[in-house]
Amino acid sequence: MKSFIEKLNSKYVLQEVVYQRDDLVFAAIKKENAIDAITYLRDYEDFTHLVLMSCVDWIEDGKYQLLYLLHNPILKNDIGIKVYIDRENPEMVSAHHLWKSIWTYQREMHEAFGIVFPGSPRLKENFVVEGWDEIPFMRRDFDTHEYAEKTYFPRGNRKSNDPAEYMRKKLYPSQPVTAKQRKDDK
Amino acid sequence: MNIKDILTPFTAWANVVKEPVTIKDPFNREAAPRYRGFHDNDIEACIGCGTCEAICENQAIDLIPVDGVETKDGDSGLRPQVDYGRCCWCALCVDICTTDSLRLTNEYTWIDTDPDNFIFTPGVTPKSWYKKEEGWRKPGNGYEFYSKERVDMEELHAEERIDSFIEFVKGYSKEQAEKEADRCVSCGICTATCPAHMGIPEYIKAIRNDDLEEGLRVLYETNPLPEICGRICTHKCEDVCSVGHNGDPLSIRWLKRYIADQNPSEKYKEILNQDTSKSNGKKVAIIGAGPSGLSAAYYLALLGYECTIFEKLPEAGGMMRYGIPEYRLPYDQIDKDVNYILELGVEIKYGVNIGTDIKLEQLGKDFDAVFSGTGLHLGRSTRIPGTDNENVYFATDLLREIVLGKDIYVPEKIVVIGGGNVAMDITRSLARLQQIKYGKVDCTATSLESEDIMPADREEVVEAREESAIVDPGWGPKSIEIENGKVKGLNVVKCLSVFDENHAFSPKFDEDNKKFFPADMVVESIGQGMDLSYLSKEFKEKLKFTERGRIKVDEYFQSGVEWLFVGGDIIEGPDVIHGIANGHKAAVGIDNLLNK
Repeated sequence: MKSFIEKLNSKYVLQEVVYQRDDLVFAAIKKENAIDAITYLRDYEDFTHLVLMSCVDWIEDGKYQLLYLLHNPILKNDIGIKVYIDRENPEMVSAHHLWKSIWTYQREMHEAFGIVFPGSPRLKENFVVEGWDEIPFMRRDFDTHEYAEKTYFPRGNRKSNDPAEYMRKKLYPSQPVTAKQRKDDK
Repeated sequence: MNIKDILTPFTAWANVVKEPVTIKDPFNREAAPRYRGFHDNDIEACIGCGTCEAICENQAIDLIPVDGVETKDGDSGLRPQVDYGRCCWCALCVDICTTDSLRLTNEYTWIDTDPDNFIFTPGVTPKSWYKKEEGWRKPGNGYEFYSKERVDMEELHAEERIDSFIEFVKGYSKEQAEKEADRCVSCGICTATCPAHMGIPEYIKAIRNDDLEEGLRVLYETNPLPEICGRICTHKCEDVCSVGHNGDPLSIRWLKRYIADQNPSEKYKEILNQDTSKSNGKKVAIIGAGPSGLSAAYYLALLGYECTIFEKLPEAGGMMRYGIPEYRLPYDQIDKDVNYILELGVEIKYGVNIGTDIKLEQLGKDFDAVFSGTGLHLGRSTRIPGTDNENVYFATDLLREIVLGKDIYVPEKIVVIGGGNVAMDITRSLARLQQIKYGKVDCTATSLESEDIMPADREEVVEAREESAIVDPGWGPKSIEIENGKVKGLNVVKCLSVFDENHAFSPKFDEDNKKFFPADMVVESIGQGMDLSYLSKEFKEKLKFTERGRIKVDEYFQSGVEWLFVGGDIIEGPDVIHGIANGHKAAVGIDNLLNK
């Protein structure tokens, strides 16, 4: 695997190379070269099978990371190609011409993260949610907690306790405490 | 027509006797071993910290009181209740669980006609799946939501610190403090255990947000001595830290120190923005400028009282200055906390001895109320033969004299009797003085308690040994060997046990297992007593005392005499944080009395 990665590195500059297992390597490739590299892997290096495609939201870095996981059925090797794209303007060259199955993945990425793959068939059709009018739900800045609160009505028979407050009332109710707690008590 | 065409359909009949590939009974199909099914909770291990509730994105978890689970130090008494109308079985609650008590079994079928039944308390509501071992648990292979290891505190090495009294704990940097603060799960279990009930999660949050001014405001709500407590607090909070159930507890004390250290004293007034210029016209006298007195003065000053502290010694701090060595608590840090209290208009009269210079009864007449926090400054003796020799000292006296700059007797060989923090303080102070004077250390501390039950903080024992002092626990002092009026050493016998089965003090010895510690000087450090000589005989009769000889006070530290409030080490502790809490509560009590 190592010599193959070195060869690939000479063609397309690889970054963040991680030898995860003997038969699995991850590497990042620049956005401009990624589809070229994936095509090369499929057509010349026998990585003919697309295992999956996924996405990670690196909100702190202002990037989305796409992952194309490819399988070589002859050598039984896997390679994961990571591609970082700008989070503000998330657009990636479509790979729908390489595998038909990638249509669905790209449709999912579009719905869950808002990533655009120009030319990808049926891209804007609903995937798992209908009538969604919030920001894409897999983005890290989507507040699931807040959404759950406003969307699903609370059951009347539920009541919770804050551990610190509950302990105060049970163990030291008369102790002078913080200004905020004094105010709450009143 | 071909014979094959006739026979082929009959070959299908062979499948009739084959095992079908479909599932016969889909309701009783065992799920995968790591399947995330229904919850179970180990009620004994769970401490009700509520991190499961906090992390739940669906608000499926509530914390509710459970019969038979008591609210106590380190345990809120609450347990998680799950609403399966909302749960999505993501198992974040399991992955964050600080005690590893929560898990998901691989059971996944539950049929009921009443939707309300799908709210249940795992581990409490009887369910068939608790007996299932398989399911999802925290993987524990390095996959953690918070680091289990605390950020190490940098210290001077023993060789660098042994020949001086400079502070050896360096304090956290910004990066270190923020990294450590990031481990906090904000459960607040610690707050109940802290005697002053400090807003610990709030000030740790202020560190995470890099808002140290807010942090300082949080500290001052419940503790006006943060520089001091940030260094020498007994940090009982860390003993109950939920993160400590599965890793190192948070360095709560060092984080407090970080906030106080980072705020310069000249900005305190602006940051805390406390106006005490309006007096309510009432005056309170405070006896002793120790933690309880200073704390009472601070909170009373905020309420508009004019406070005067009467201090016997030349500087403020009480035991914090005259008991705790400088290498643990530098004097300028004490001054920083004290000066802010003085800036609020509190006055300290130094060198005034209540009882002799001014009678307590006189204070009662001149002031609207009096708070007394006179502390435990008298040494206690083992009363073994030889303790009347001039070279047998009390630790408290020596520690005070070191601070006062007096030239104390430092011979080449010293033995200290005691295994508490004061014993370690004097051992380590004398070790330093020996190093300075002779270039070597020969100081031994021996205690009745064996190593595992020594009352001193573990780190004190470890650090004393690092500094070449010998700590040899588990020996009962028998006599001090005197020859021609000079101390020759200490005779001890093996101590087998200190407490009887009722946890009462009743040491048992093996008289045949003897040892002799050669020494030119013996220091006794087996506890401190209070000096109540400022109470006249007639006055004492008006007060009530407990069986242990302490002044009886109510929950606001009011004594039998209406205008006299008493707190600090002579009532509770002994430690700084109890004193601060007592002073705070007494201030509320005094305000209740005078604002009737």
